[in-house]
Parts: sequence; C-alpha cells; structure tokens
Amino acid sequence: MEPTDDQPDRGTHPLADMTPIESIWGRIRQREIWTDEERETVLDELFPDDEKIIPYLKRFATLMILSTTIAAFGLIADSAAVVIGAMLVAPLMTPMLALAASLMYAQRKRFLGSLTLIILGTLGAIATGWLVAKVAGGTLTAASLSPELVARTAPSLLDLGIAVAAGLAGGYVLTHKGAGSSLPGVAIAVALVPPLATVGVALEFGATERALGALLLYTTNLIAIVLSASIVMFVSGFVPDYVRQIARGHLGLRLLPWGLALLAITVPLGLHTKAVLEDEAFVRNVTDAVEKWDPQASIVEIDADRSGSRATVSMTVATTTSDLQPAWKLAQSITDEHGIELDLDIRYQRESTDASSTS
Amino acid sequence: MRRRRVSALTLLTVGAVLVAACSSAAPDDRPVVEVFGPYRGEDASRFAAAFAPFEEQTGIDIRYVGTGSFSKDIQNRMTDADYPDVALFPQPALIRDFAHRDLLVPLSDDAVGTNMGSDAEVAAGTVGGTVYAVWFRAVVKSLVWYEPEVFRDRGYEIPGSWDDMMFLTEQIEEDGLTPWCLSMESFAATGWVGTDWIEDIVLRQHGPEFYDQWVQGDVTFEDEAIIDAFETFGEIIHQPGRVFGGTHRILNEPWTSAQAPMFNLEPPGCLLYRQASYQEANLPSSVVVGDDIDVFILPGKDGIEPPILASGDLAAAFNDRPEVRAFLEFLATPEAGEGWAAEGGFTSPHPEFDPDAYVTDFDRRLGEILQNAAVVRFDGSDLMVPPVGTGTFWTGMQSYVRTGDARAAAAEIQAGFPEATHFPEVPIPES
Repeated sequence: MEPTDDQPDRGTHPLADMTPIESIWGRIRQREIWTDEERETVLDELFPDDEKIIPYLKRFATLMILSTTIAAFGLIADSAAVVIGAMLVAPLMTPMLALAASLMYAQRKRFLGSLTLIILGTLGAIATGWLVAKVAGGTLTAASLSPELVARTAPSLLDLGIAVAAGLAGGYVLTHKGAGSSLPGVAIAVALVPPLATVGVALEFGATERALGALLLYTTNLIAIVLSASIVMFVSGFVPDYVRQIARGHLGLRLLPWGLALLAITVPLGLHTKAVLEDEAFVRNVTDAVEKWDPQASIVEIDADRSGSRATVSMTVATTTSDLQPAWKLAQSITDEHGIELDLDIRYQRESTDASSTS
Repeated sequence: MRRRRVSALTLLTVGAVLVAACSSAAPDDRPVVEVFGPYRGEDASRFAAAFAPFEEQTGIDIRYVGTGSFSKDIQNRMTDADYPDVALFPQPALIRDFAHRDLLVPLSDDAVGTNMGSDAEVAAGTVGGTVYAVWFRAVVKSLVWYEPEVFRDRGYEIPGSWDDMMFLTEQIEEDGLTPWCLSMESFAATGWVGTDWIEDIVLRQHGPEFYDQWVQGDVTFEDEAIIDAFETFGEIIHQPGRVFGGTHRILNEPWTSAQAPMFNLEPPGCLLYRQASYQEANLPSSVVVGDDIDVFILPGKDGIEPPILASGDLAAAFNDRPEVRAFLEFLATPEAGEGWAAEGGFTSPHPEFDPDAYVTDFDRRLGEILQNAAVVRFDGSDLMVPPVGTGTFWTGMQSYVRTGDARAAAAEIQAGFPEATHFPEVPIPES
C-alpha cells in the first residue's frame, strides 16, 4: 500500500511481518488508490451541488415516474421483460449509494438530503403504481393479481441474500474504476422500482396484505444496499483515511440503526421463508395422500396454500378410469393427518388409454 | 412424487368437485363424531363456527367433511356400508329412503325431540311416525321477489290475497308489461320449480291438514282439489302474456336465470318472481336485497294469514353412540345456528331462535317470517316417496307446462306411487 498525498504515512510496510492469513486478508483489502479529484468526481455524481441540483432532481423525478409507469404496466401485463426494462431506467440506486457514502463520510446534511430524496421517490413511485392500476387495471382483482405481481409480495431470506450481495456489488462498482458497466446488472439483481410499483398496484386493488409484502421486499433491498455499500466503501479505500480516522469513533453508532433494522427485518422474512417451506412440505404431503387415495390418479397440476389451521388445495388429476375414489375421502385423509380446515377443489381429466406418458 | 407428463390433447376435463373438511388438531382420546354434509368452502367454515361451542362445552370432536356431490356420495357410502356418524341432508327424500332401510337411528321421545320447538320441525324429520332427523337450517319458499322502485313508480301495491295478486297480474298486463318471471330447467330435476308452486297453492287453497294428507299419499293427485291447484297455476302459466317467454322458456331456460329479465331489460321484462330465499345467491352482484329487490310472502285466501312453505337441511344419525346423540340434541336447540347466523346466510327453523343472532337484515326477516307464521309446512315433494317426490312429480310438472292438461299430468304423477323398491339417484336442485 502506497501512501498518497493525503494519507498519513504509518511508517511500516503493511504487508511486512504478517502471518500468511494476515497477508492474504491484506491483499483482499488492498485498496485502489484514489485521488481527491477522483473522489470528488464520484461524490459530485452522488451529491449534485447548487447549480446541478435542479436538473438532477428533474431527471430523478422524470425517470422515477417513467420507470414506475413501465414497471406497473409490465406487472399488470405480466411481462418479465418489461419489468426488467423498468429496472434499467430506475434512478433510485444513486440516492441509495449517496446515502451510504454520506454515512461513511459522516455528513449529516447530505445524509438527510439523500434520505429525503429516497422517501419522496418511494412515495411518488407508490402513487404512480396506484394511478397506473387505476387507469389500466383492466380485469385484475385482488384475488387474481398477475404472477409477476404476486412474486413480489412474499419476500424471503433469499431476497435478503440477493439484496446484500447486490449492495456489495453496487458499492464495488462505485468504488472500482472501470467496473461501471456492471451497474445495470446490479439494478436488475436488486430491483427497487418494481416492488414499489407493486405496492401501488396492490393498494389500488385493495390487496393490503400483498402491498405490505411488496413494501417489505423494498425495505429489505433498501437496508441491505445501504449497509453493504457502506461496508464496501469503507473497506475499499473510497473513504480517505483522514475521514476514516476522524469518523471512526462514531462509525459503529452510525451503522448501528441500519444493522438493527436489518436484524428486525429478518423476522418477517424468516416467517415468510418458513411459510414458503411449509407450503412446499404441504404440497409433498398432499401428493403422497393422493397416491394413497387412488393410485389410478396422477397429479397434473397442484396449487396448495396453507396458513395456520386453514388450507386451500386446488388440483387437476389425470386418470385413465372413470371410477376414482370419491374426493371426500381424500379431503378426510388430509384433514385427519394435519388437523386443519381444508378446501379441496379437484378437476378431473380423462387420459385416453393410448396417451404416451412418462413416469 | 410421481410426475407424469401428458399431452394436453389427450386430456379431457370430465368434471370438477369441491370438498371441504375440517378437523381439530387434537389426536387424543376425545370422542369423535364424523359428520358428512353438503357445505363446502365458506359454508363449511360457517358450519364449523356453528358447532364450535358444542365442541368447547362437551369436549366432543366434530370431524366434518362436505362434498359437492352429496346425494351421489351418500348413496355410494351406503353401498359400501361406510356410514358417517351424522349426515346433513339437503334432500329429505333420502332420509325417508334410509329410514325405510332401517339405517337411521330413531330419535323419538328423547332429548332431541324435546329440544325441537315446533310441530313443523318435528314433522320435517318424521318418517312413518318416527322422528329420525333434526331440521337444522331452513329455506323459506313462499316468497315473491319484486323491485320496490318499479312498484312505487307505477303505483302497484303488495297484494294482500291471492285474488289481489291476480288483479295485480292483470293490472301489469294492461300496462303493457309481462307480470311473471318463471323458468324451471334444472337438468334431471327439471320440474321442481313447478312442484313448489303446486304445494304453495294446495296449502293456500285447502289448508295444512289436507296438505299433510296429500303429502302422505292419503289424498291422490287425481283428487279434484289437486286438479284445482294445477289449474290455478295454469291461470298464470297458460294465459298468453303472463309469463316472460311463455311455456317454451319455462321448460328450457335454467331456473337460475328465470329472474334475469327483471334486471336486464328496461322496462323490466317481468315484475314478479316466486322463488325460495336461496334465490339471493342467483341475484346479480350489483343488486342489493332490501333496496333494489325485495320479497313479499306469496298471499293466500283473503283474510287468512298466508301459510309458509319451507325446506332446508336435516341431520340424521347412522350410528347410535352417546356423543352422536349429544350432537343431534345440540343441533335441535335454538342456539345451534347462532355461530353461522353471525356470519350470514343462515335461517333457523327453530321458533325460539334469537333474532339478534342474525347479522343480515334479510336473514333476520326470513327468521321472523318462519317464527311469526301461523302455519309452516315442509316442502311436500321432499317428503313424498322418492319415485314421486323426485320422480313423476317433476316430470308431471313438465307435462303440465307443455300440454296444459291437468288431469293427464295428475294421472302421470300418481302412476309413480306403486310399491317401488328401486331408489333413483336424487339430484340436488338447489346447487
């Protein structure tokens, strides 16, 4: 590590007299050399100053509204490609990285500015999603939301993992010159605008629970990005040593609320994950029960949802015979095993005897 | 898990079935009563809410299974000798059949009987002088649906007697409109809508005692009084212009859309529709009961409070154990349906049911109609022997609508009476 002009020389070679492990860690930590000018360029992008602020805000508002509109249309139309397009247009990543940088630089004014912008952007996006759903909601109802919408309403611990990794990538891209072309990938990996559009759309359809789920996904992404980007900035050398030394004393204090928020959010995410795993286990149990119920029946499609002591199962079974066991026996065997209330909806499909099938 | 990929072209959807089941999560040594019935989905949950207090008080575990094809399933269970402890029958004709086969537990002279509140309740569950079933949930049949706003605008009044109603019919015709909505296509059960009309007319013209004799088979269909009832019905259906679409529509249009012209046409295609309280489920979602649409009781003879024809679901036991009897005793109490009434969609046949337990105005009104009625009689075709009640009475009604020949129709229905041992499969008209 070479001392730069603004870095006080510590007087020893950093890699000297280290154990192999320390040496490897040191190389991993080996920071890029930043000049003040380079830092300023990046910080200027994150925090536009007086004359640039108005155009920046205009651009932010325009892209925010447009990307949410695209996302909401894509979600309603159930088009993954359109939703991805919306992610690439979305401008929310900049104020989030700015928030992380202001945390590391301990700059209260910039921190509050970025936070305000994020909050306004968030509210604006929800309102836009709501408006698009109001105008173009078509035949969707709270009970029949498109799969693209539903997919964003039940975040799990997996989503937290994605957000943490994407936050690290976002911080890395920002602090490593030449990695800029990866930023679109980061935006896709950790979508911010589609969950917000989902909140708005779900609210318009009166699906409050789904809206809260999407809001949880967004919050997860927000916290994970800010926290992990902060860490990358700190570790990578983007934050100059003099700032590090001045601010180090308060670093823990500044990161603490974000760490706590992350911990707090793992609770609902863990519960969601548990519910997903339980649903999967329940589907396996129901599948076994169908085999025991009537070996002549094979499941073509099954959709099972268990919450607490209530479950809804709807399935299509194919059969070569017209003489299956009555459906109530299946319902009874499932409820007897699980001690639950069950609504079971079976559709029968007759399989012609010459059907080619693979087992 | 076996996964099988089958080309979509080789698949043919042959039907769908909905079932519901509930069971508490206590696999201990509590006594268990297995209950089999027609309630699914929302109704199954509401039924569960109705028996929850019983489970709490007694520690008896009720395991309910509901099926969308009750009539078929219960008869298959009989074939397999696989009986539930208790079954809830939406078609009491099946109770008569099971009772005749000595499969049901007689309930006379015990707590079940004393919990029942009225003769009509007892009669509904009685077969050959023995009580076998508890009337748990009621349907009010003697209702005429109409649009209050249309009546207000045109100055029509709710008729106080059958003659007033026929006068109103003529008045509507003179105004250039069609008075009645009526259609009765209902797959294998086509004709049941007409049987309800005849039962209501017999009950009004000749009183409850005569009605009981007729239902029990002591008065034949060829009796002049019954022929009269057919011809009274004929004054509505066979007079051109009195029923929307005429006899062709009566026979061919599904009964569930009989009332559609009242809502779909302007001015309304028809203004009066006699149908049971479950018509509520067939109304367009935009129509508010009590506001856009309302009911009056099908009137009877001048100066006589109209009798009420009713039907509903009855519970009978196949197995005689103390916990099974305890459950039927509970179902016979006035409190039995309170949990369901609190969720809506329930009318109790019990005279002492608490009206405050109803959550919707329409449920409360139906409950009050039953409680205040001087005469309540159970749907006759449900009580007649199955070859008639769910056989020739239905087909005879089709013949009568087609030909207008009351005597020929009466003879056709009466021919169903011989000592039949064959029991036909009974479709459930309400579903």
